[in-house]
Amino acid sequence: MSVSRRGFLRGTVLPLSGTVVAARGMEAYQAEATQERSGRSLVPPGVTEIRISSNENPLGPGKAVLDAILGKFPEAGRYPFNSTPNDGALTAAIASKFKIKSENIVLGGGSQEILKNAVRAFTTPSRGLVTGAPSFENCPGVAKKLGHPIKEIKVDSMFRLDLDPMIDAAKGAGLVFLNNPNNPTATVHGAKVVADFVSRVRRSSPDTVILIDEAYHDYVTDPSYQSAIAMALETPNVFVTRTFSKAYGMAGMRVGYAIGRAETMKPLEKLKMPYNVSVFGVAAAIAALGDGKHIEVERERNTKVRAYTIKALDEFGCKAAESQANFLFVDIGRPAKEFREACAKQGVVVGRDFPPFEKTHVRISIGTMEEMQKAAAVFRSVLRPVPTSTGARIEEGSWR
Amino acid sequence: MALTRRGFVQAAGIGAAGAFAHGWIGARGRENALWSAVEPTLHAVESGLIVLASNENPLGPGARVLNAVKAAFGDGGRAPGRYSNAGRDLIDAIAKKQGVKPENVVLGCGSTQILRSATHLFTAKDKPLVGTIPTYEECAGYAEMMGHPVRPVALDADFKIDLGKFAEAAKGAGLVFLCNPNNPTATYVGARATREYFARVNRESPDTTILVDEAYFDYVTDPDHDTHIPIAVENPRIVVARTFSKAYGMAGLRLGYAIGHKDTIKKMADWDGGTGTGSLNVLALHAGLAAIQQDASFTADERARNKAVRDFTMNWFAERGMKPTDSQANFMFVHIGRPAKEFREACRKKGIAVARDFPPFEKTHCRLSFGTMEEMKKAVAVFGDVLGKKANAA
Repeated sequence: MSVSRRGFLRGTVLPLSGTVVAARGMEAYQAEATQERSGRSLVPPGVTEIRISSNENPLGPGKAVLDAILGKFPEAGRYPFNSTPNDGALTAAIASKFKIKSENIVLGGGSQEILKNAVRAFTTPSRGLVTGAPSFENCPGVAKKLGHPIKEIKVDSMFRLDLDPMIDAAKGAGLVFLNNPNNPTATVHGAKVVADFVSRVRRSSPDTVILIDEAYHDYVTDPSYQSAIAMALETPNVFVTRTFSKAYGMAGMRVGYAIGRAETMKPLEKLKMPYNVSVFGVAAAIAALGDGKHIEVERERNTKVRAYTIKALDEFGCKAAESQANFLFVDIGRPAKEFREACAKQGVVVGRDFPPFEKTHVRISIGTMEEMQKAAAVFRSVLRPVPTSTGARIEEGSWR
Repeated sequence: MALTRRGFVQAAGIGAAGAFAHGWIGARGRENALWSAVEPTLHAVESGLIVLASNENPLGPGARVLNAVKAAFGDGGRAPGRYSNAGRDLIDAIAKKQGVKPENVVLGCGSTQILRSATHLFTAKDKPLVGTIPTYEECAGYAEMMGHPVRPVALDADFKIDLGKFAEAAKGAGLVFLCNPNNPTATYVGARATREYFARVNRESPDTTILVDEAYFDYVTDPDHDTHIPIAVENPRIVVARTFSKAYGMAGLRLGYAIGHKDTIKKMADWDGGTGTGSLNVLALHAGLAAIQQDASFTADERARNKAVRDFTMNWFAERGMKPTDSQANFMFVHIGRPAKEFREACRKKGIAVARDFPPFEKTHCRLSFGTMEEMKKAVAVFGDVLGKKANAA
């Protein structure tokens, strides 16, 4: 006897079993370590905090989004399927933006929910996960809790995802996680390189699903880059995730989505938490999609502040990997922990450890220009070269 | 924070000083929108439609909670752009309110996430889910998706959970889903009988976990009413689910929680949730904090308001020979003697949305959620029209 009201729940049994623990969003962990609960902050009381640790848009959402949220106050008591517009309208708005069908889209409580469900849906004890090292930790976190195998491929000397060994590792894998731009290294691969990667993985391992996470898509300025969405719509077992948490400035609203062929979306749709996006999130995201100008402005702002920050760090000998995102992966020549704690004492909160580079590199998110100017002064004081016995300064770069 | 309409607008101004500088609520029109935001009736899916389909609180969360949401926007409206850890504060506040420790609480994206986690963790291919027919479908839907068996148990003649049969069915089960009051039948089994049921299942099937869904807890007026939270924190085999979607009027925000033994809660948090920072939006977290910290009169007032509407609506049907079950919730399950679909479609044409089908009673019964008294007075006029016509035709 069926007691299910949702037809989509019927169907394939998914490979889920065991005592399993899902990773929460790592960016949220970061927030946890530094924010909001009294007594937990690394920042001393009374010191103004500059939070450049979680790759957020420091300005938050635009006016159109805030207005949309306010406008939904009278519907706070309605389920998202009863609100005006309802959650289906958000899917329709995304479909309209990309000129695709609703069946090509799955909504997530942040793209994190989709990453989590992708690991649950596409990996098994015998078909594991392939990811970069370092890359966004969400997928390997879930795979680890499931006890599914993980192959982490170290980035290349330019801190880009090292695609050749990832292709080798993908043979027989369940899921490949390709974060482009890659968090935390901020590097990007161009459209041709990504297309070549996909076709080679497809050739050598056609059943492997490829997840291309474009969370930082809106910050890319490299002309060789292009979204993989068009390719995903044409290619079986390939899908793209996007989020409203980054350039759209809505990390707190928890809205993301996946795009791919209908048959690739099906397992993700089954695992999707019903009504996972709130009434406010639905209205906010629809408003955000209608405000393309806000994204343009944010990209320009970020590009400018990013260039300033790269230069400021370079002046005291710290090189950043080529950043195409709203954060930098910087060689500080000392443990990130040491640097992080020293900066926090002066109110600047930077990124967590990213093995295998936690002894030398730190991730710094791009705040506002004013914040980064203040942060640069703090970095300078923390990284200041110690005078030698002759009083000469240690040469640039000697920290490494 | 002030509870009055004036207070709401003032708080909006204070909480969002930077926002005013941005100019996003300065306009007169926006001010009007803010005023209307604390008017007591929710917007419907479409203008003029009365929604009696989803067991929502028709008044929404109230000014105090909306004030808190507004304040959570922070300086210049930037807070929605930040990841938040307010979930930890919310867990602390829930623990304080319920007299438990934070380790006994896990948050969910609505109680939906709680129900799914419990089903995931406690059922298996050889450990069925036990639920009544009908009941809220989330657990059974998830179990079916996982390929885990579902063991359905019929209700008694009064549409109440038959605890004897329910205990028999629990033997060897992984999870019992005990929705009390039961959705969609609105019936309630008393606290004493439920405690006896726990003891029996613990004794006869010690590995079976019982998930008690108290979604409609605040609407119960039966004198033998009590929460099972104190038992759950002591007993690893009992978990209580709660939601902010019903009496607290926050269905749109997506917030629920479970309370149980720390080991059980840890399992659930580890599988899917933790402090909820992944799936819960920052505005919901702040709304939840304000809601749980407000005076108990909020839920008491909502219970009293609902009871008046419930009595009115149930009487209306009873007087016309259509017997509702003994509703202890903010909805009723009533024998209309015709397919729910037919009734639903006729009502929809007249601006009233009532609930979906609930097999095996979809040919005779309909679930109606209670709106405001004003809405129900309009609704019964439509019901009279729709049900009368059919009666005449037949």
